[in-house]
Amino acid sequence: MACISSCSVYLPVWKLSRDEISKETGMPSLGGERAVAHWDEDSITMAVEAARNFTGKFDAVIFASTSPPFRIKQCASFIASALDLPESTFTMDITDTMRAATDALITANEFVDSGKFKRVLVVAADKIPAKPGTLYEQLYGDAAAAIVVEKEGGAKILGYSTSTKPLPGSWMLAGDDAVRDYDMRVDARYGYASSIQQAAMPLFAKLGLSPADIDRIVASAPDPKSYEGLLKAVGAKPEEFYFSSIGIAGCAHPLLLLATQLEKTGRILLGGYGEGADVLAIEINEAMESNIGKMLESRKEISYGDYLFNRGFVGIRDAPDRPSLTKFWRDEKSIIRFYGMKCKNCGTVSYPISRCCIECGAKDSYEEVRLGERGKVYTFTVDYLVMPGNYTGDGVHPHCVAVVDLDGGGRVLFEVTDTLRDFDGIECDAVVERTFRLLFEKNNFRYYGWKVRLPR
Amino acid sequence: MKEIAVIGCGVTRFGHHWEKDHEDLLVEATYEAISDANIELKDVEAVWCGTFYPSTGISGNVFSDTLKFFGRPISRVENYCATGMDNIRNAAFAVASGAYDIVIAAGVEKLMDSGSRGLPPIEGIFSVAMPVVSAPAMFAMAANRAFKEWGWTREDLALVAVKNHYNGARHPKAHFRSEVTVEKVLKAPMVAYPLGVYDCSAVSDGAAAVVLTRPEIARQIVGDDYAVIKAIGMAVETMHPWHRPSESFLSFPATVKAAKMAYRMAGIENPRKELDFGIVHDCFTITELINYQDMQLCKMGEGAELIRNGVTAIDGDFPINPDGGLKSFGHPIAASGVRMVAELTKQVLGKAEGLQVKDAEAGFAHNLGGPYSVATVAIVSRP
Repeated sequence: MACISSCSVYLPVWKLSRDEISKETGMPSLGGERAVAHWDEDSITMAVEAARNFTGKFDAVIFASTSPPFRIKQCASFIASALDLPESTFTMDITDTMRAATDALITANEFVDSGKFKRVLVVAADKIPAKPGTLYEQLYGDAAAAIVVEKEGGAKILGYSTSTKPLPGSWMLAGDDAVRDYDMRVDARYGYASSIQQAAMPLFAKLGLSPADIDRIVASAPDPKSYEGLLKAVGAKPEEFYFSSIGIAGCAHPLLLLATQLEKTGRILLGGYGEGADVLAIEINEAMESNIGKMLESRKEISYGDYLFNRGFVGIRDAPDRPSLTKFWRDEKSIIRFYGMKCKNCGTVSYPISRCCIECGAKDSYEEVRLGERGKVYTFTVDYLVMPGNYTGDGVHPHCVAVVDLDGGGRVLFEVTDTLRDFDGIECDAVVERTFRLLFEKNNFRYYGWKVRLPR
Repeated sequence: MKEIAVIGCGVTRFGHHWEKDHEDLLVEATYEAISDANIELKDVEAVWCGTFYPSTGISGNVFSDTLKFFGRPISRVENYCATGMDNIRNAAFAVASGAYDIVIAAGVEKLMDSGSRGLPPIEGIFSVAMPVVSAPAMFAMAANRAFKEWGWTREDLALVAVKNHYNGARHPKAHFRSEVTVEKVLKAPMVAYPLGVYDCSAVSDGAAAVVLTRPEIARQIVGDDYAVIKAIGMAVETMHPWHRPSESFLSFPATVKAAKMAYRMAGIENPRKELDFGIVHDCFTITELINYQDMQLCKMGEGAELIRNGVTAIDGDFPINPDGGLKSFGHPIAASGVRMVAELTKQVLGKAEGLQVKDAEAGFAHNLGGPYSVATVAIVSRP
């Protein structure tokens, strides 16, 4: 079996009060807040943000999501590129089920256990589309979580077991733009608790453990009540489920719960539910730090109208120019891996990589250098003629751009993101940090790259 | 350089010419220029025609098919907002070489047909990842840095708008012919912080043309009723100032270099003393203040002092933009630089009715284009 050596979560900067949703839609409020992605975030970008906290290399990346932005096109390869992993990295996506993240964890465990890969990144992210005024709008939250699986680490995966049960549950057809369900009560009554218990029984037997040997049980669930019901049925105390602050983070939810559990030692049971269940027994010997606290604290409130804008239900995003996709691919090293150049003649670090140095003109005399994560704003503006993402300005959502001198050299013009109409704190000399985002959507393609935000 | 004579100027009214085509504007400006020069179109041996937006892709035919002027050399010139004056530079040097005796340099722009608020976007070929930056945003970044470094304020910028609109209100061909107050400028909607609507030159339509020849030929055609171009300097810098670590955003190196080149060509050591007035590229109010410094009218950081103290007012010690500038005319890209040289000519010949700078014998005109990447400076005087 393999170990877990570190964990990380990512929450978007916005939180939306469910009372605010209720006020605007008339739907009864489920209370608390849900996490809301900025308009330029999706499961790829949130995955990168979660995984960026780790240092060191990976030889495999497994991405889990039920909301991958592409139907045909691997997301893990984008993530590996943004993390500047070598092209020899094994990348795979596990999608289409709420069990995707625990499936990914099981797969990583097998990879490491078998000696196939040494250090595997498991990263899950979801931004599930829901129609305004539906229950799902309040149920889900946008988030990502990442776990490092390797031979040694503070938490040991003792074993796992699974069950399968194809209940109707909730689903999306290939052409759907929002999640749907038949009757959630069927899942709650016949699917959830029995699937988890069915998966757990053989695991106990295999490991020679009894329920009394387990300190804490966390499991994803179709809704928070089902989780509480499960814990009540087995006579255990429910753990923090993060429904009142985040919502159910789709398939990323079990990984998010695991990350928060890793902050305390003990033997835990982790469940992932969806058309059956995965259950893993994990022994945490050394507590690890997750950044959940920092993520929760550094959020801002969003209004329902702005949430609708972020979700694309409000406003027009008109894109007149059509940048070349070929160029996007050709310049991957500068755009996604974020390399600049250091001139061997004059020492200037500049961006992007180009044949001749921007300061001294020296030809083909440079080394490629990865640019810094943070920097200082040299100057900036808030442009009302352009909308964030290079769309034609609507006069309401201005485009904040900043010229940033990055730590370690290199000056880059960035879009300043995670801001809608309030630009407080963005001024000359302000410190900003890079964040991986969707730059814009054109040619029916999604172009990714780096922006900056105020530090979180 | 050898002096080149300007013997005729034609400028259309600048503004929103919804009912006119670029063809109408170019015909108007060209015929006004040849009439002013006392020549006929058939006397013209070669043409340089500048356009930036409307006719990209149709090259020399912009002029030939508009005027039905066939069988002669025509070059289309494009160099951002400095297109107009670069156009004149090419035409002037061709005349100086002796290859041609009489040529036309014209510029036309029909921006209102683009359906765009602000200038139409240009597809970035150099970096797919770079955010699009509107023209006001490019210059707003200079303003914010100047505010930080020198303590300039939005009020300082507003004074530029007030001065230029005061002059433009008296110019028959200006797009905007009314004065503005500091309060009105400050309260206008924001375009790119800290630049509001009145800090920006408008998107306008217009055309301008000048007829150039050598002084000895000029004397035969128009007597002494001509001006001379004594110098044209030009410099091209990076189109990615935001990626060049040495860029200060407090000075536009293209202007500094073009000005030095022009002053050297004309043998000028102290422009503030040796010249009488100037026309600078006031695409935005902040640009005018930075131009004062880059054109060597004052030291770095002192640009705002000049406007606060009225030095650059039409009756000031060194009037800038007595015509009302781009602020009053709007900025039909390729037409602006040609119009500026026409305005200089009018001033030095004492023909700027109602806006005449006292004792104007010699002045400069400055064109700045792109993300401050292309600048041209021309010096025009009485013969």
